[in-house]
Amino acid sequence: MLKQLNQQDLFRLLEQLAISFQLLVPQTLVDGTRGLLPWNGSQTSMSGEPLQRKPTALFFPQTDHLVHLGSDGMAATPAGSDKPLALCGLNREDLAGIAFIDRFFAAQPADDIYLKKRTAALIIGLTGYVGREQQFQPLAEGQCDFELIADQQHWLAVAYTESGKHWLADYPDGPEDVLQLLRETSRGIASQHEQAVKRASRLLQAEQVPDSFWEEISARCIRCGGCNFACPTCTCFCVQDRKTINGIERSRIWDSCQLDAFMREASGHNPMGTELLRTRRRIHHKLVDDPQRWGETGCILCGRCDRACPTGIGMFAICDEIVSRFDR
Amino acid sequence: MKATLTTCPYCGTGCNFYLLSDAAGQLTGIEPAGKHSASRGQLCLKGWNAHAFVHHSDRLTSPLIKQNGKFHPCDWDSALTTIHQRLKQIANSYGPDSLMFFSSAKVSNEENYLLMKLARAGFGTNNIDHCARLCHSSTVTGLVETLGSGAMTNSLSCFDATDLVFVIGSNTTEQHPLIGSRILLAQQRGTKLIVADSRKIRLTEHADLHLRHQNGSDVALINGMMRQILLDGMENREFIAQRTENIEALRQSLVPFSPEYVARITGLEDQQIITAARAYAQARSAMIVYAMGITQHSHGVDNVRALSNLALLTGNLGRPGTGINPLRGQNNVQGACDMGALPDVYSGYQKVADTKSRLKFSQAWEKALPENPGMMATQAIEAAAAGKIRGMLILGENPMLSEANQTLVKQALNNLDFLAVIDIFPTETAQFADLVLPAACYAERDGTFTSTERRVQRGRKGIDPPGQAWPDWQILCALLQRCGIKADYNSPADVMDEIAKLTPSYAGIDYTRLENGEGLQWPCPDSQHPGTPILHREQCTRGKGHFSPTNYRPPKELPDATYPLLLSTGRTAVHWHTGSMTRRSHLLDREEPGAFAEINPEDARSLNIRERQRINVSSRRGEIQVKAKLTDRVPPGQVFIPFHFAKGAANVLTNNALDPESGIPEFKVCAVRVTPC
Ligand code: SF4
Ligand code: SF4
Ligand code: SF4
Repeated sequence: MLKQLNQQDLFRLLEQLAISFQLLVPQTLVDGTRGLLPWNGSQTSMSGEPLQRKPTALFFPQTDHLVHLGSDGMAATPAGSDKPLALCGLNREDLAGIAFIDRFFAAQPADDIYLKKRTAALIIGLTGYVGREQQFQPLAEGQCDFELIADQQHWLAVAYTESGKHWLADYPDGPEDVLQLLRETSRGIASQHEQAVKRASRLLQAEQVPDSFWEEISARCIRCGGCNFACPTCTCFCVQDRKTINGIERSRIWDSCQLDAFMREASGHNPMGTELLRTRRRIHHKLVDDPQRWGETGCILCGRCDRACPTGIGMFAICDEIVSRFDR
Repeated sequence: MKATLTTCPYCGTGCNFYLLSDAAGQLTGIEPAGKHSASRGQLCLKGWNAHAFVHHSDRLTSPLIKQNGKFHPCDWDSALTTIHQRLKQIANSYGPDSLMFFSSAKVSNEENYLLMKLARAGFGTNNIDHCARLCHSSTVTGLVETLGSGAMTNSLSCFDATDLVFVIGSNTTEQHPLIGSRILLAQQRGTKLIVADSRKIRLTEHADLHLRHQNGSDVALINGMMRQILLDGMENREFIAQRTENIEALRQSLVPFSPEYVARITGLEDQQIITAARAYAQARSAMIVYAMGITQHSHGVDNVRALSNLALLTGNLGRPGTGINPLRGQNNVQGACDMGALPDVYSGYQKVADTKSRLKFSQAWEKALPENPGMMATQAIEAAAAGKIRGMLILGENPMLSEANQTLVKQALNNLDFLAVIDIFPTETAQFADLVLPAACYAERDGTFTSTERRVQRGRKGIDPPGQAWPDWQILCALLQRCGIKADYNSPADVMDEIAKLTPSYAGIDYTRLENGEGLQWPCPDSQHPGTPILHREQCTRGKGHFSPTNYRPPKELPDATYPLLLSTGRTAVHWHTGSMTRRSHLLDREEPGAFAEINPEDARSLNIRERQRINVSSRRGEIQVKAKLTDRVPPGQVFIPFHFAKGAANVLTNNALDPESGIPEFKVCAVRVTPC
């Protein structure tokens, strides 16, 4: 289904969505970055740099209350919000990130805390001329309920699910030829990072990267955890139990495999006790193990870890380094 | 769902992040500010977890009064009245100088200002101080004497444009991680790195030169470097002639510090000293970076003087990529000093002994003010133990774990007639209080903080405080009013307006300007002034840079036959000071759940100690049990213990030998004995 919306239509659509959903749209934050925040009826920032925080955080938040065990012996799960989430404004990589962790959380045994939030949600992609200074952003062509594609004047809207079709039903049909053109533009964009990550992945799978390389890279890790916390495909969490006035609250919180305690045994022994082992593992997981398990790398090329790493050893930086040193 | 931009509550780097909160007013996470100049979309592990302690069930939620040794909740009105009356009674019976006020580098500028106003105008004493006494008091004394201003001379952005960084006594990647990372990035780009530290810290792995000098031998090392620079004729003669004074005295004082002599004191090779001197002097621009390894000595001020001399000698001052850069430990330790939470100055370092300044504050506050400088925090502990200080108000500090020689601190606190503590958690110190007031934490109140690069920035309220907790500024206003001092501020913004009126370096700072910008670096003398990223540009704050010769003095207590190992104390990357916040943050506490001592495998072998075994560490002042961590990070003959832990508290052991000028204890050197448990 292909529709075309003008600015007014877009607002009408957002208004309608806000009745049934807790609608989050991209907005410019005080420091100039963009983030998904509840729509207040007017403000949106539909174009600009990629969203600062990974949108997967909305389904798998940094702190997620799971259950409260009362001193009376009763267990209570937190009351969810009364409306499901609608996320508007995700680019191709963000959608790929959600799809990646969907598969992880849906795999048996399924994670019903995640799925409860996720299956009720509506996901809206945002691509086309919506980058920084209206630069072109590649189309998603799926992985969402519908995708808004900015051409130079209008919004094209393509629905991929029944729910997407339902919300777009009221709007006029859009021009197939324009969509075709946008698709071609999109496919013509070569991602230099994608190439480096794929080549690095192949080199790692072929065991072409010696430990001396990891020693050098990991000597620059300051154990901040940022690479994991920023990454939309990182799903590791640990469990935190805390006293409350009338019981104990159990939450899950984001963990980081760059931390020493991540694998430390109760005895104190740590099979991943050095930064070398941990840094190598982080990259191996995404570029060697994930391709084996899922048939694709665990890096969806969002660039967030490179932005979050204070010492310049994010995924792209490491892959570039691997390729330049070991690709013959 | 809300995102509130605020300043990190931990170190002085001044990173900004968003506090993310849900509809119920609970914090759900942290997101670094992508475009902020200090954080640049990055944080350290503490920053990423800065929300984690906020909803901990240990939070104080009601005023507590101690009756028959037990705390009972009470209402605010009677709590505030009790504090006011008890402190007044003590002041009336024994004089106002029998009171002591501890302010905090963890509360805002406005709150520090209000507490110093309370001490001075409300209770008539200059006995106010805060934990800068324990960290950078040596800096303030040393740099004010030589340059005229006790703050970091340059900005964080200077790390991106320098030829050489000389790090001495700073474990930067662990203590100021987002400054450490800038140093690592600079090094990758080709900036030379010299690190002087007895421990093999992360930076030393990347250094062009690692000077593993004996703890406490810094003056000898730096004097040796300067002597060599003069010998090689590599000093900056033009700079010395135009911008400094007293070079001859310095030259004379350096004569004995030959490489051989310095090598004997420091344990280094002659050649290392010469190489370091030449590298530093030859760099077009060189930054000196230092922290507690320099200041926390019984000769801390001399260490600072020596570094200042070194920068002046080579003209590494007043330009981008140069300077003397003391890294401030806590997010508002710079601000607490700027606000005059110190015994001898009002805000902006205006001296209480100076009649004009005193008159100015006295007129503004409509109250006669005391003229004798007050007592330092470290002296106040000794005075309380001796019964001379009888009443104390402690705001957000935990001297039980942070001051040297815990036995003495315990005796001091026990000895008090009355102790009131304002804090967010029931700290080890709060246990000694007669009255405890619950405060709002950083995420629950507005204010400003001044980072290590003198950047004044906003802290913003994201959520409401728990229970009946109040923001500290409101508590202080209520106490001021009980003392009959006008304190009808509607918000911290009003307090800042008063600060700006009375403080020349903050005169151009107001909340409207801070709302949109990134913060303003003082001095910011008027409302149009853009702030000052680099100090001492045309001339030093005091006019001419003053060479202040120093002589080598060994630490007060060195290893001997009975206590054969040298103990150095400090912090680790994941914990924060006395742990009241980080030890209640799951990921951080899990990373380092208990006290440990780093000990060299050679020493461990001869003492029959294995990895993770429990050991006794004792000094002349006490004994603790910790886990052994065998590592060559420490050289043979040295152990390192972080002071974050209540069980295995390093400060049971440390020596309260004070620097005679700055009053800082010698946290970095004392003698201990280690035995297996
Ligand atoms: S670029 Fe980094 S943050 Fe983004 S998906 Fe890849 S590994 Fe994760
Ligand atoms: S972001 Fe960089 S420094 Fe931080 S843990 Fe990851 S690799 Fe280490
Ligand atoms: S470097 Fe300092 S200011 Fe920045 S996040 Fe870490 S503790 Fe906070």
